[in-house]
Amino acid sequence: MQFKKKIIASLLISGGVLGAAGQASANDSSELEQLRALVQELDQKVRVLARKEELQEEDLEKQKKETPKIKASASGFGLESADGKNSIKLQGLLQSDYRAYNNAYRDVRSRSDFRAGDLDNGLTGFSNTGDGWLIRRARPTVLGTLFGKYDYRFTEDFAGGNATVVDAYVDARFDPAFQVQVGKYKSQFSLERLQGGGNIKFIERSYVANDIAPNRDLGINLHGDVLDKKLSYSLAYNNGVQDGGNISTGTDFNGASEYTARLFTTPFKDQDSALSGLGFGLAATHAHFSGQANLNYTDTSAANGSWNGLPSYVSDGQNTVFRYNTWTSGSTPGAVADGTRFRLSPQANYYYGPFGLITEYVRISQGVSNYTGGSPAAGGTATDFVINKSSNKTLNHDAWQIAGSWLLTGEDASFGKVKPKQDFDLDKGGWGAWELVARYHELYAPCKSKAGTSYTQAAGAYSDLSKSVKSAHSYDLGVNWYLNEDVKVAVNYLHTTFEGGDIKPGTGANILANGSNVADRSDEQAIFARFQISY
Amino acid sequence: MLIAILALANPLNASAAELNLLNVSYDPTRELYQQFDAAFAKYWEAKTGNKVTIKASHGGSGKQARAIIDGLEANVATLALAYDVDQLYEKGKLIPKDWQKRLPNNSSPYTSTIVFLVRKGNPKHIKDWDDLVKPGVAVITPNPKTSGGARWNFLAAWAYSLKQTNNDEAKAKEFVTKLFKNVPVLDSGARGSTTTFVERGIGDVLLAWENEAFLAKKELGPDKVDIVVPSISILAEPPVTIVDKVADKHKTRAVAQAYLEYLYSDEGQDIAGKNFYRPTKPEVAAKYASQFPKVNLITIDEFGGWQKAQKTFFSDGGVFDQIYAK
Repeated sequence: MQFKKKIIASLLISGGVLGAAGQASANDSSELEQLRALVQELDQKVRVLARKEELQEEDLEKQKKETPKIKASASGFGLESADGKNSIKLQGLLQSDYRAYNNAYRDVRSRSDFRAGDLDNGLTGFSNTGDGWLIRRARPTVLGTLFGKYDYRFTEDFAGGNATVVDAYVDARFDPAFQVQVGKYKSQFSLERLQGGGNIKFIERSYVANDIAPNRDLGINLHGDVLDKKLSYSLAYNNGVQDGGNISTGTDFNGASEYTARLFTTPFKDQDSALSGLGFGLAATHAHFSGQANLNYTDTSAANGSWNGLPSYVSDGQNTVFRYNTWTSGSTPGAVADGTRFRLSPQANYYYGPFGLITEYVRISQGVSNYTGGSPAAGGTATDFVINKSSNKTLNHDAWQIAGSWLLTGEDASFGKVKPKQDFDLDKGGWGAWELVARYHELYAPCKSKAGTSYTQAAGAYSDLSKSVKSAHSYDLGVNWYLNEDVKVAVNYLHTTFEGGDIKPGTGANILANGSNVADRSDEQAIFARFQISY
Repeated sequence: MLIAILALANPLNASAAELNLLNVSYDPTRELYQQFDAAFAKYWEAKTGNKVTIKASHGGSGKQARAIIDGLEANVATLALAYDVDQLYEKGKLIPKDWQKRLPNNSSPYTSTIVFLVRKGNPKHIKDWDDLVKPGVAVITPNPKTSGGARWNFLAAWAYSLKQTNNDEAKAKEFVTKLFKNVPVLDSGARGSTTTFVERGIGDVLLAWENEAFLAKKELGPDKVDIVVPSISILAEPPVTIVDKVADKHKTRAVAQAYLEYLYSDEGQDIAGKNFYRPTKPEVAAKYASQFPKVNLITIDEFGGWQKAQKTFFSDGGVFDQIYAK
């Protein structure tokens, strides 16, 4: 096109020259008229070509607006329709961890096959507490939007060697104030749980989020942002999960649903104030079910604690340190969830410049009864389940945490990703972002061991103090190195002291009736390291 | 508490006093609706105490109809011809089938016709349609596939040829073929063609909406262009309608209805006349009669209505595709 224009322009110029020459030399006015007509004709042709080019550019511009966009950036890869209403995006999270435990703790674990190992794996030992590497999360995610308002997300996790569905939901954004989420999603309860797995400040979450708050659940969640997005609410009707539970995508085995409600406000948001990064809220869950529904009548491995509707708790170092009793034989009872389960959690976070703070508390009030019977996992004759209603009691367990972070390199702290001011680059001299983190958190699971005057598994005892701790107290120190917004290296030092959970050496394998041989577990010390890619 | 929060935050709260309307219109109505929208907003606020903000979208009539069908949320559509409005029912079920019966004059508050705009002094001596097919005459008209005005142009030329040749359709086809061979640039809408002719200085004659021709002459001054009225032209009846589904969704039916009805009011008709559209209200039409030349006008009925005309001439594989492909 440009070439043609140049030719015609040349013709025009030569026409002009000829015209000038004609004026100078030709007296024939008809020749002059012809030359003028030629110039006019050529002028029209140039104008037409220019206009056509203009229209072509307009068409191209319009086509650009109608052509789907391919997006590839540090936040993922995807396709989006020209109007932005339909999209699909691929994201990923890979965490490769190394864990090393202190010798003292290993000694305790090695002393017998009957302590923590019994809680985890029957008589098979302590396989989950060894030093070594593991893939903590390996999660590809497909997410996007349809018709401009229906968001979807599907996340799988391959870290355990099997593919499990982590998230699978549709979220319809009818209005910022009225959105409906259906499927499997994070329970809108714990503040730290709602922080993305790639954005948490420590390698593992605190006792609040990891042990007591529900993890993911199946159901319907009405939620939205109101009052200029300064108040968010959530009201969900879910299958319900035990403490720290991550529901399977199967049916709800106890048939009792759980209601979850949460309000969270950031009242000074968007203000030029030191409080603009302050947020606080309150969350609660409520469910009620009968103990019978929590016992599996058909499964021959009813001794599996996951079928009694009650949780187990892990330590800061991810060792199981608390589990309710299960019936194995005779008249010594197990425990089953029976009655109301109610959780309450006040929570807050605060961000100011490079400083970040998160704190939350949770209480779980759990109805529990003793039972006997079932089908022993190791075989043998099935026995009818019997729930001892007179043993029913509401147990209160608590956890809380406070955690601070400080970005040494001056980036702004936030609930989301850290974006370094300078990416790590040896050639250009950038060192990424560096962050120091510190946390103190505690778990209390009292009121569950002593039945009357006896600590043994008589009626009214729900867990064994010689195996399950009464409380755990942890402090964690760590460094996070953000090479760029997607790549992070983290190292944490963890230190935990326990109350209960062990037996004095030389006093036998079981707790004495007066509980006099109960000892505190040795301190757990560990170093966790993580290499993470999250995009 | 939740209900209270939702009620406070709901942007569609019934107590909201400020309303928004989107009028999706055809290409040359920019100036008309700019004035009309301001007048209506004033009228509506005086009548109801509520403010209304009217936004407008302009483009080739066919393209605009497709945009509405594809999701452009027009509360009202004011297009160049009834066929394009029919599509809102046919392809989108956005309006009822009998939409044209809801307002007077088949829902056309104003009419117009097609005239020629030529360079000052009419150097190519263009007086009627047959002058457009002469060699060396460059004709500017938009693309009938996308522009409502262009379809009126095409049909007027076709009708002229039929009259001249005793209804010989083959000769009419040959006539429009020659005419479009003289078209150097096909814009997608009437305003684009005006730009081509007036601003880019291309062509000897612009086939233009009457209002567009008068506006161009007014803007450019009488020493730049002349208007030539052909011996025969066509009565263009640009229709208007509420886009029911959108108006109901946004709870704007009442204000949208009032907006269209106000086009028939004395003030609405006066604004149409001032913008060189032919008012349909007799007393207002009389006021502006002197500014419009007397033209022998045929109507779309002579082509069997818009559905038939569209299928015969402008659908894929129709007469226009046949003659323009050549």
